[in-house]
Amino acid sequence: MRTFLCGFLLLMIVPAPRGVKGQEHNRAIHTPNAPAAIGPYSQAVISGNTVFVSGQLGVDPHTGMFVEGGVREQTARAIDNIAAVLEAAGTNLEHVVSCTVFLADMNDFPAMNEVYGNRFREPYPARATIQAARLPKNALVEISCIAVLP
Amino acid sequence: MSHHRERIATSDAPAALGPYSQGIAAKGMVFVSGQLGIDPKTGKIVEGGIGAQTRRSLENIGAILKEAGCGFDDIVACTVFLRDLKEFPAMNEMYGSFFSGTAPSRALAEVSRLPLDAAVEISCIAVKV
Repeated sequence: MRTFLCGFLLLMIVPAPRGVKGQEHNRAIHTPNAPAAIGPYSQAVISGNTVFVSGQLGVDPHTGMFVEGGVREQTARAIDNIAAVLEAAGTNLEHVVSCTVFLADMNDFPAMNEVYGNRFREPYPARATIQAARLPKNALVEISCIAVLP
Repeated sequence: MSHHRERIATSDAPAALGPYSQGIAAKGMVFVSGQLGIDPKTGKIVEGGIGAQTRRSLENIGAILKEAGCGFDDIVACTVFLRDLKEFPAMNEMYGSFFSGTAPSRALAEVSRLPLDAAVEISCIAVKV
């Protein structure tokens, strides 16, 4: 009982964690130009100089539906969604440092790669690509990324 | 002037054969692309199964980190993709031999398929002191 009380008092004394100068330690991004986060996640989180973007699908943010077409169209839309989130965070595709690409079918790799290669410039971000057993809503591609603020 | 991102490139790791870099350094962090167990001299996956591929993948990571001016002790997070979770113990044992002291955080998943039908792919993030 005494241990419990001591612990409880300590909890009351220790202040809630705060970043430097009273700012929020991490900031969540919310933009209508990318699909809304429909669960316990944020479109992106900014911590210090780094922006962590949630996996984006080829979903049109205005309709909530996948864009027409196949992996090329979904890849283009997913990257458009990433770009919109990065813009809201105060950065852009040129500051992406790392991407993870999840494919429903590794045979789609060349098509994805071609669209992807047209959206990024040298020096290209680091990347890992894998074939997943299944993606949300049976998407053909999902892309998450990390970017830095300019 | 570049957009504050520096490309890391070394011939001691497999060449980047597409729109990605072996590694990117920015703001004191180093992001390493997913490495397969490819021998940089041959461009082929090494023989010997999961243990050999895990070793080669981590050696490739080491080469990229070295080019970036850091090492295994600077890795903060790794992601490991396995073709078959049954190979986890063998991967884990080889992986463990590369880290001493505090091991980095790690996420691991079994995937349907990897490029070149590799058994393992490992990516990581390092932070330079």
